[in-house]
Amino acid sequence: MKLLIELNKIWAFAARNLLVNRRNVFALFEMLFWPAIGILSVGLLTRFLNLDQETVTFVLIGAVSMNAVQIAQLDLSYALLYDIWAKSVKHEFIAPIRLYHLLVGSGLVGLGRGLLVFAVMGLLSMVFFNMDLSRPGILGLVLFLGGLFLNAGLVGVLVLILVLRFGHRAEVAAWAFSYFLLLLCGLYYPVNILPPGVRELAYAIPLTYFLDYFRHFYGFSLLSPQPLVFGYTLSVLFLIISYLLLRATLKGARRRGTLLKLSE
Amino acid sequence: MSAIITQGLCKSYRPSFFRPPKPALSEVDLEVAEGAIFGILGPNGAGKTTLISILTTLLRPDSGWAQVLGLDVVHQAATLRQHINLAASNAHFLWCLTTEENLRFAGRLYGLGGRGLAARIEELLVLFDLGPHRRTRFEHLSTGLKQRLALAKALINSPRLLFLDEPTTGLDPIMAHHIREEIGRLNRDQGLTILLTTHNLREAELLCREVAFLKEGRLLATGSIQALQASLGLGDRLTLTFRGSPASLDYGRLPGVLAHEVRDSRVHLVLDRAEVRTAAILAAVQAAGKDLPAVRVKAADLEELYREITH
Repeated sequence: MKLLIELNKIWAFAARNLLVNRRNVFALFEMLFWPAIGILSVGLLTRFLNLDQETVTFVLIGAVSMNAVQIAQLDLSYALLYDIWAKSVKHEFIAPIRLYHLLVGSGLVGLGRGLLVFAVMGLLSMVFFNMDLSRPGILGLVLFLGGLFLNAGLVGVLVLILVLRFGHRAEVAAWAFSYFLLLLCGLYYPVNILPPGVRELAYAIPLTYFLDYFRHFYGFSLLSPQPLVFGYTLSVLFLIISYLLLRATLKGARRRGTLLKLSE
Repeated sequence: MSAIITQGLCKSYRPSFFRPPKPALSEVDLEVAEGAIFGILGPNGAGKTTLISILTTLLRPDSGWAQVLGLDVVHQAATLRQHINLAASNAHFLWCLTTEENLRFAGRLYGLGGRGLAARIEELLVLFDLGPHRRTRFEHLSTGLKQRLALAKALINSPRLLFLDEPTTGLDPIMAHHIREEIGRLNRDQGLTILLTTHNLREAELLCREVAFLKEGRLLATGSIQALQASLGLGDRLTLTFRGSPASLDYGRLPGVLAHEVRDSRVHLVLDRAEVRTAAILAAVQAAGKDLPAVRVKAADLEELYREITH
């Protein structure tokens, strides 16, 4: 019975995100149109530059991953932004929900949308630019995707923290934050070309290790000996820290009256 | 038993990091009985919404404590949220969800689901006459329908205590009347305790057995409307207009007279309860050998009380 109650609370957020996505034409553009434009333009650029197939794959893995992470994290960021835009934040926080209901419910929809984007963009890359997604095998792909979506979750939680702390002013973070992280973690290039200082920052981002892991199947040398261990350890550690930070931010929001301000 | 008890409740907001905190509530002591409709009255900026937000666990007090349904609003907030709900003025819900979907979302937040939730939604759609609008998106509902949806949402979890923050603000008189009737009926039929903030004095007078007056974050007075009137010397007004000079009586000593004034042929009396005292006063006039005067009664109203307390 208690489990059923918990599942209903999680499903509240998942069902709501699904409904809003279904009713929003922009969501379709967000999921398919813009990512497809991105993949095709990057792919055509690699053709113009006459890159070898391995390098083309290196670049396209970055482009496909970027779109999947961006879409997956948006559902988490939107979990609160929908209510801010609707001025209904207080209805949610007066209910007996905990943060994990919101995170798991919205995160599941994000995971579904992110997987769909990865599949469609991967297919486009295979059809138009001969990228071979089968080389890492099922296990390699699953481990890579696991890391990718953990990082999307991490970005989503960080955006939620900023939105809860700074309200409307932080909305832009929902879109900007993931691009900034992806820039650091070697989206279209190996991180060792980054200037010193920035490079060390890149090594602190778990997504760097997952991209590194996936690309090594295509003949690129590993930057770290155990990319999966580093990637998963850092991801879990950062997720725990960011969850605790989110809880503290919510507590602060109740103290400062932010939940009321976001409902006005 | 008390549904709400607060003691020394204080809250201040800091407009910005460099500016000093501005008090919104100062030392508020309040007690609301279970099963009552209790009104919090006060002008804009009095602290009504701040108080209701603390009691609904949306806001943490700086100091003092508050118990709602026997649960501490800070330390037992998670349990408390299961038993309360809130409807505020200017209802806001997700714009692209229909009436039914918004109610379903709200129900799931309370852990409801399946047939139980479906039945509850049907019940509320009937109760607030929202059935014909069940598939209308929130953005396409009129203001009155949005407010009815807000009330329906506030009852989705069958709360023991309902908070209404200016529930009829922005509604046309007919819709406001309808909503007030619903509030009264919920209290009568289901024994629901309701705490209501309003600056509509007529509304408070119609609905509330007890009221509290807030001004600049301070609780100025609390109690039943009659008791407050009596304590402030406010009451029903009885004007006697004589043909010629008034009866020579010591009006101040007549039963129930709180104040009096004799001007020309008129006597103005302030009574604790006109409906009980008028007959005795007229009998005294007659006994003084005067013809019965023309009588005009004006019932005391909350507006008078409000003016007296908040100014």
